[in-house]
Amino acid sequence: MNPQLAFLIGLFIVIVALVLTRRQWAPAAVHAVPSVWRIAKITVAEARRRRVIQAVVILVVLILISMTFFSYLSPQEQSRMLISGGLAAITVFGILLAIFIAAFLIPQELESRTVYAILAKPVRRFEFVLGKYVGALIILAAIVATMTVVLVGVLMLQDSLVQDLPDSAFNPNLKGVVFAAIMNYFAIAVLTGLIILISTVASTTMTVISAFIIWAVGSLQSTISDLAAHAELPVTKALLTVVYLIVPKLENFDFRNEVSNFVPISYGTGWEAVIQGIGYTAVVLILASIFFNDRQV
Amino acid sequence: MSSGRSRKLILGFLMVGILLMLVPVQDRIHRARPQVFDPDRKIKRVSAISVGPTPAVIAALGGFRTVAADLLWLKAERVWDGGSWWAMLPILDAVTELDPQFVLAWQVYGWHAAYNLHAESETIVDKRYWLDRGVTILEKAVEANPDNWEMIFELGWTLYDRAHEPWRASEYFYRADQFPGAKSYVSRLYYRCFEGVLDFERLFPALEYAKGRHTDPNVSDDVQHQVIANRDYDWWVQHKDDPQEHRRQIVLENTKRAERSVPFYLYPDDPYWQVCPICGLPSPKGSDVCSVCGAPVKQLSERAGRPSPASIPPDRTEL
Repeated sequence: MNPQLAFLIGLFIVIVALVLTRRQWAPAAVHAVPSVWRIAKITVAEARRRRVIQAVVILVVLILISMTFFSYLSPQEQSRMLISGGLAAITVFGILLAIFIAAFLIPQELESRTVYAILAKPVRRFEFVLGKYVGALIILAAIVATMTVVLVGVLMLQDSLVQDLPDSAFNPNLKGVVFAAIMNYFAIAVLTGLIILISTVASTTMTVISAFIIWAVGSLQSTISDLAAHAELPVTKALLTVVYLIVPKLENFDFRNEVSNFVPISYGTGWEAVIQGIGYTAVVLILASIFFNDRQV
Repeated sequence: MSSGRSRKLILGFLMVGILLMLVPVQDRIHRARPQVFDPDRKIKRVSAISVGPTPAVIAALGGFRTVAADLLWLKAERVWDGGSWWAMLPILDAVTELDPQFVLAWQVYGWHAAYNLHAESETIVDKRYWLDRGVTILEKAVEANPDNWEMIFELGWTLYDRAHEPWRASEYFYRADQFPGAKSYVSRLYYRCFEGVLDFERLFPALEYAKGRHTDPNVSDDVQHQVIANRDYDWWVQHKDDPQEHRRQIVLENTKRAERSVPFYLYPDDPYWQVCPICGLPSPKGSDVCSVCGAPVKQLSERAGRPSPASIPPDRTEL
């Protein structure tokens, strides 16, 4: 479909839907903000009590610091190794923590029956889902920020310690590293939204398994798109196209390769990926609210 | 229709609307990052399927191609230290497959084939094979990194220094020199390509071009470049019509190559060179006489040979 035409049709539909429901969503939005914020704060407080999250963050910090032991490599190689390894560590542990935080948020409330106490108050179900999501985002932002600060610190330290050679200089590429970490956070945010959606309909185990699969497939979206383009069987082509359209395009947020190779980054593309991610997450959270609303609690 | 169902319907429309609005955004992202999303690009970052069932592929599946490439790169370093030169090839191949933007890996891969394995080979056929392989590797590297001047320069340098194809090399030097950040030696190597083969039609425009590059008097490298380029220009203006000097230049060039045990390997249908049956040295095609010994062109054999360094007369520098 022509992208411009698709955008115009989409915009028209969104405006019509918003105009038709304005009497419902306008007052609901005003009421939702304090409720969502309260639930988010409770979610953050619960997460802070979990020692495992702090232990994982400390582990990552130690891994990042230990990555300075590549002194036998040339300065250029050292900087590449540190950047790619550091960003990979942030991604792996960020995604793992996102999966294990988000997958338990709603099922745990259901199992411990604390959800009854919350929903008995004037809190709508979509506010509950959104509050949980915002809470998870705050926790994950703190985790990713901590790991990024440590990586930047390690890079700056190495930059001051490593002696440059005439044809090989240590390049900390701090701007690129911070940008890649921010993009990484947005990828985690999109995945978290999807995990919350799955957790409203599936068991915790199923949610965790699905999250890992979505992570792997989302990171290979360009390959899926290639395979769909070259598939001979119409069924295969249709199946791959559906997967390509449904699964979040986590590769959009992946700038680790460019940053590690010191390739100039198109920052605008990153922010376009963020817009795309916000739109995708909005759809996912609307679906999560619908499913949670229909659920017998 | 109940209010619940109508609400769901409206929310459904809202979701479809949002998704449609995202279509042009994704389209722009695809166009902005062709190295990731363009299916027509021959070398892509995602090539896990072509690498084969290795641990690197497993890592690549999670979007960790760069880390997988790094781990293999460390292995390549260990193999290099152990002296297993031939074992480095599959590792370097996997590294560049996993991360085609890893410029250093491409440079080492191409250099390793064109220089080290070429030198290790015992037969001329093998030497030719590794030289061609090195050039092919670097051509792939340029295809994967068309905006990286260092990669383009590396290919030009291998063609100039190892394959003795100065005309082809000059194209890459010129291309590399167009990028911001290209060092001044790139523009000097551009005209050096024509010096060795006495191609005056191209040499003087290339010298003029080099003189017009890197002209900032506040940059020491630029000042040095201007001194060298102007000196070379003046020298060639002075010796343009001196055939003795031309011969001396060619012999000096041959001597340099012979000293490094890099003999000429001419293709049977080499478009640029032919071997003089009198002096045994390569001479550019198209001239009336051998540019080294002055033998008439009719005496030049059409058969292209591969003279060994030993066939070059020992007193060649005294011509």
